[in-house]
Amino acid sequence: MSMSQEEIEALMNGLDIEDDGDSDEETVTVNTQEIEELLSQTEEFKKDDVNLENEEHDLEDEEPIELKSNASSVSSSDIEKLLSEIENSNENAKHIEEIESIVTPSKSSVVEKEITVTESKPARSEDEIAKDWTSSRINEGIFPLPAENDTKVVNQLTQVANDSEEKVSQIFDVLSLTLDNNNELRSSLKDIESFISSETALLNSLNSRFPNIKIFDERLSQANKVAETLKNLKSMINTEDTEIFQAMELMQFNDINRQKIERVMSVIRKLSSYLNNLFEDNTPAKDIVVAKHIHGDDTDDLIGDDLDKLIAEFSNNK
Amino acid sequence: MKILIVDDSSTMRRIIGNVVMQLGFAKDSFDEAEDGVKAWKLLSEGRYDVILTDWNMPNMNGLELVKKVRSEGTHLKTPIIMITTEGGKGEVITALKAGVNNYIVKPFNAEVLKEKLDGVLKK
Repeated sequence: MSMSQEEIEALMNGLDIEDDGDSDEETVTVNTQEIEELLSQTEEFKKDDVNLENEEHDLEDEEPIELKSNASSVSSSDIEKLLSEIENSNENAKHIEEIESIVTPSKSSVVEKEITVTESKPARSEDEIAKDWTSSRINEGIFPLPAENDTKVVNQLTQVANDSEEKVSQIFDVLSLTLDNNNELRSSLKDIESFISSETALLNSLNSRFPNIKIFDERLSQANKVAETLKNLKSMINTEDTEIFQAMELMQFNDINRQKIERVMSVIRKLSSYLNNLFEDNTPAKDIVVAKHIHGDDTDDLIGDDLDKLIAEFSNNK
Repeated sequence: MKILIVDDSSTMRRIIGNVVMQLGFAKDSFDEAEDGVKAWKLLSEGRYDVILTDWNMPNMNGLELVKKVRSEGTHLKTPIIMITTEGGKGEVITALKAGVNNYIVKPFNAEVLKEKLDGVLKK
């Protein structure tokens, strides 16, 4: 599937792209108040956990002391004390269980919420799953693109040939325009050239008549320089024209390449027709029942003992 | 002097037209046709001094056009230059037998066309 420019930009900015249908169900919006409540709840849980841990630690610490006392001397009063302490410890344990029961429901409610979120997703049909699997295979390059108008080989080649012809025509327009501009430049230069040559002639006569006046000599040399510059400009325009003509001549390769593409298209068409004829079945087509597993396939084979065991199990179950 | 340029590629028609202009012909001194059928129509309606035609074209190809021009109509003796990518010896012989006066294989340059044009016009 092609992506729109917005989707591409969103992707480049690191944002998630919403899928067509699933996006509404997957995105859960939480406002700041809810976040704060959640945070305070988690802090309470943490505190409870810390208390629980401390109590557990106390119990753990107490027991070894009593054991030590047992080891030294055991009297009937000691036994009674020990029993009462054990009862206390049992009460503590009950207390811990009660606290845990307070904590655990909240956890289970979270799980329930998760389950309800997942349940809210519509059940995907087998067709959709198959489509997703196929498109993922196509994206991975394992399967070829489906034979649609845009992906059919001959169609694509025709499109390439036509697009290329169109673009070459546009390039030709640009080059023609440049040639026309050069022609205009050339005609303008002719006018300037004629003016400069008349000026040069005038300055030449003035300079020969009045050789002592420096300004005529200076202007004459300047006019000669301008004439030289014009000459260079004309030669540059001519060179540019030649290069444009060369570029135009090179465009013949578009026609040559188009004909090569057409030759390939012809081969593909003939091959396609030949293969169709080759695989064609003249007998009335009926779907043949095809074996799902044949011995030698790369799947788990049930051979010998395994097969016998399975049969035996089934017979036992009966 | 009137020239008829026949080619199915618009780019090629423009290239040939450009070369013809480079040789000193004016823009209105040549007409264009995109296949043999349209070329035959123009030939029936007007008078041309030279025909420059491609070989591979839809509807009526260049070879068929040459055979038709040489067999009927008012351009029986008009010089024809075939400009094509078909560079095989067999193809050149076939075209010459059909009545082509000269043959240019693409890609070509302005000098080659000038030479060939001068050659057919002198005769």
